[in-house]
Amino acid sequence: MGITRRAVLHGAALSTLAPGMTWAFDRDSSRKILVFSGNQAVPVLDPHVRYDWSTRLIQQSVYDGLLKYVGTPPRIIPWLAEKWDSSPDGLTYTFNLVGNAKFHNGDAVDAEAVRYSFERGLKLNAGVAWMLKDFLKPENIVAVDARTVRFTLDKPFAPFVSYVPWWYIVNPKQVMANVSEGDYGRKWLTENAAGSGPFKLRRFDANTLIHMDAVADYWKGWPMGEANRLSGVIYRIVREAAPRRAGLQRREIDVITNMSPDDMSQLAKLPGIRNEDHAGFTTFGIKFNCQTGPTADVNLRKAIAYAFDYEALITIHNGGARLMDSPFPPDMESHIAVPDMPRKDLDKAKAFLARSKAPNGDLELEYVHVQGLEDARRIGLVLLDSLRPLNIKLNIVGQPWTTMVARGSKPDTAPNMTSVYVTPVGIDPDTIAYQYHRESWGLYYGMSHYENKEVWAMIAEARGMTDTQKRLALYAEIQRRIVADQPEVFGMIPNRTWAMRDYVKGFEFSPIRFTGEVDLYPMWIEA
Amino acid sequence: MLFYLLRRFALAGLMLFGLICLTFTIANIAPADPAVLAAGPDAGRSQIEQARREYGLDKPLPAQFLRYVSDLAHGEFGRSVASGRSVGRDLARYFPATLELCLLAMTIGLVFGISLGMLSALFKDRWLDHVTRIFAVSGIALPPFWFGLLLQLGFAVWLGWLPTSGRIGVSTEPGEPITGLLLVDAVLRGDGALFNQSLSYILLPALVLSLPCLASILRVNRSEMVEALRADYITAARAHGVSPWRLVTVHALKNALLPTLAIIGLRWGWMMSSTVLVETVFDWPGIGLYAVSSAIAGDFKPVMGVTLIVGLNFMLVNLVVDLLYGVLDPRLRDA
Repeated sequence: MGITRRAVLHGAALSTLAPGMTWAFDRDSSRKILVFSGNQAVPVLDPHVRYDWSTRLIQQSVYDGLLKYVGTPPRIIPWLAEKWDSSPDGLTYTFNLVGNAKFHNGDAVDAEAVRYSFERGLKLNAGVAWMLKDFLKPENIVAVDARTVRFTLDKPFAPFVSYVPWWYIVNPKQVMANVSEGDYGRKWLTENAAGSGPFKLRRFDANTLIHMDAVADYWKGWPMGEANRLSGVIYRIVREAAPRRAGLQRREIDVITNMSPDDMSQLAKLPGIRNEDHAGFTTFGIKFNCQTGPTADVNLRKAIAYAFDYEALITIHNGGARLMDSPFPPDMESHIAVPDMPRKDLDKAKAFLARSKAPNGDLELEYVHVQGLEDARRIGLVLLDSLRPLNIKLNIVGQPWTTMVARGSKPDTAPNMTSVYVTPVGIDPDTIAYQYHRESWGLYYGMSHYENKEVWAMIAEARGMTDTQKRLALYAEIQRRIVADQPEVFGMIPNRTWAMRDYVKGFEFSPIRFTGEVDLYPMWIEA
Repeated sequence: MLFYLLRRFALAGLMLFGLICLTFTIANIAPADPAVLAAGPDAGRSQIEQARREYGLDKPLPAQFLRYVSDLAHGEFGRSVASGRSVGRDLARYFPATLELCLLAMTIGLVFGISLGMLSALFKDRWLDHVTRIFAVSGIALPPFWFGLLLQLGFAVWLGWLPTSGRIGVSTEPGEPITGLLLVDAVLRGDGALFNQSLSYILLPALVLSLPCLASILRVNRSEMVEALRADYITAARAHGVSPWRLVTVHALKNALLPTLAIIGLRWGWMMSSTVLVETVFDWPGIGLYAVSSAIAGDFKPVMGVTLIVGLNFMLVNLVVDLLYGVLDPRLRDA
C-alpha cells in the first residue's frame, strides 16, 4: 500500500505540527462562544416569511416578541409587552410595552414598530401569516400611543394570544431603508436582521454557519449575570450525524441535536457529555385517506388501529417516546386521555375487519413516509407485520416531502396511509383541532381528508368561544369524537434530545419549541 | 483545423441544449409541489397559491421552460423556492470552494498517479507493482462516502490531528475573498495561520476525492509506460547511450502521457460530480453540498443549476482534451 503509507505520512507530517498551531483547537481562545450544531440550514431569516426549528433558533435569538413561551408545560410570559388585556367580547386586545427596549441600532422599540411588524406579517402573507390573517386586518392594528398597541379582531378568536409570541418585532426604520421594489424589505431581511433580541447577527451563511454576538446591554438583562454571559453563539450546520458527534467529542461543538436514539444512548456513556432528554410535543400519526379507497371505511380503519403494535413505537425510540392518548399532546390546554384509545387487540381488529367491506382482508395498502426518515420507515415495517394477521399486505414507499404533500393534497391521489409528524405551533387546543376541520383538507396535516360535519361545527364554534369552561368541555368532546372516527392511527410523541458538554449551563426546555430548537438566551458556559 | 474546431464547438452547443432540456424535464417530472416548499410548513391554501404565482409555477410547463432558457441566456439560473435567493449568486458563492477542493485533489491525483504509475512500470511484476495494483483497485472500488467517514474517525476523532468537517474554523473570519480559494487567498495575503488552517480542513476531503482519480491515472499511466518502454525507439535511445533518467522521463513518459490525458479529462469531470458525496460527508460548503441539501428539500432550481455547471464542466474539459489531442496528434486534425 505504497500510496496510502505515503499519503498518511504526508498528512501525519503536517498534522504533527497541529497542537502548537492556532487552528488545531481554534476555540480555546474563545471558550465563551457557544457552538450549537444541527443538520438543518437557515435559508430565510426573515421572521415574517419562514419558520422551522433551525430558523426559529436564530430568530428567537435576534428578535423579541411581545410575549414569550417558556417552561414545561409551556406558559406565556410578558416580554416586549409588560402587560396585556382583552375585552370581554374577545374582540379587542391591548398590549402595553416596556419602556426600555431598544433595537440593536439604538432605536426604541415603540408601538409603531409593533404595528408595522404585524402589518408586514399580514401583508406578506407567508410564514406566520396563516395564524392570524382570517381574524385580523392590518388597518385594525393601532398604535394608541408610544407604548400602547391595540388589536381589534374581526370576530372572536380565542387562540390569538397563543400565536403572538411567534410574531417577532422588526425595526421599521431599518426595514424601510432596505426596501426594494415594494417588497417590505423581504430580500434584505433574508440574510440580515433588524431586531432587538439578546443576540445580534455577525455573520450569516445560510448553508454553513451563523455567528451571533451577545448584546452587552440587552434591555432585558442577562439571567446568568453579566460576568457569565456568553460572548456569542455560533450555529454550525453539520449535515451528517457522525461528524456532529465527533465534533462534540472533540469539543469543537458544545451542543448537538438531531441524533438517533442509538447515538444518544452511546453518547450518554461518554465522560464530559450530558444528554438532555425531554417529553416532546410533536405527534406522530399514520393518516388514513378517509375519502377514497379501502380506508374510507371506518371499520377497516378501526381494524388497522387495533392490529397495530403500539409498543414497537416505544422500542424503536429506545424507550424515549410516549404513546398518544388523544389527538392532542399532553401539556396542551384541554387535553384529556380519551377512554378506549385503540391498543393492540387482535380479536377486536378481526371483529372490525369482519364488519368492513373487506371482511377477509385480502387487500394491498400503501404506506408513504418521508424519504430518509429512518424511524418512519421502521414504523412502516412494524405496520407491515401488524397487518399480516388481517391478511392485508403493505407497500412501504419513501417519497420526498414535497412529493408526499403534493399527493396528499387531493383525496384522489392521497395514499391509503401517510405517516406525518406534526408539531403544534401554540398551546391553544385549536392549533391541533383545526387540523381536523374541512378547511385543512389537502394541507400536510389534513391529508386524511377527515369528514364529520358535527365535529367541524364544534371546532369552528370552539375557536370563537370566550367562556373557558365551556370551551374546555367542547374540546373534550371533540377529542372523543375524533378518536371514534379514527382518521389516523394515533401513534406516539417522541422525546426531544440534545447532547452537550457538561460545562454548558442554563439549558431550559420548553416543548412548545420545535424539535431541535432551544432558547439560547439563558444558556452560558461555566469556564 | 478550423473545421475541426467548429465541429467541436457546435457539438458542445448541441449537448448543452440537450442537457438543459433533460434537467428541466427531470426536475418537473416529479409529482412534487415546489409551491408547498416556498410557502412554508403550516401555510394555508392562500399562501401556497401566492407562492405559486410568485415563482411563476402557475404557468404551463412550456412557458416555464422558455422562461428558464431565456433566464439562462441572461446568465440567470432562477430563484431557489426554499430561500428566494438567486441560484446564480449562490453558485458563485459556493463554486470556489468546490473548485479549490477539486484542484487540490487533481494535483494529488496527478503527482502521485503519474509518479507511482511510472514506478510500477519500471518495477513491473515486482512487489511495488503488486502493491500499487491492490491500492489502485481498492482506490476505485472504495465508496468515497465510507472512506471519508473512516478518515474522519481516524484522523479527527482518534488521533485528533485534523478537524472533522467544514472549510475553516468556526471562529475564523477569512475576510473578503480575493480568488475565493482560501489557500490561494492566504498565500496572496501572506497569512500563514490561515493557510495552515485551510490546509488542515481541506486535506481529508481532497484525499478522498483524489483517490479514484489517482488510482485510474496510476493504472493507465503504468500500462502506457510498459508499452512505451518496450518500443523500438527506447531500445534505440538506450543504444545511443541516453541516460536512464532521461530515457524514462523524457522519451517514454512523454509518449505515455497522451492516453493519460484523456483519463485526466474524464476524471476531472467525474471529480466535480463526486463532490456531491465528499462535500456532504465533510460539510464542505461547495456546489455539491448545495445540490444535496436542495435536492433533499425538493428545491429543484439549485439542483438544475449545479447539474448544468457539472455538465458544462464535463463538456469544457472534453473540448479542451479534444483540442489538445488535435495539437499533440496531427493525424486527428483531418479526421
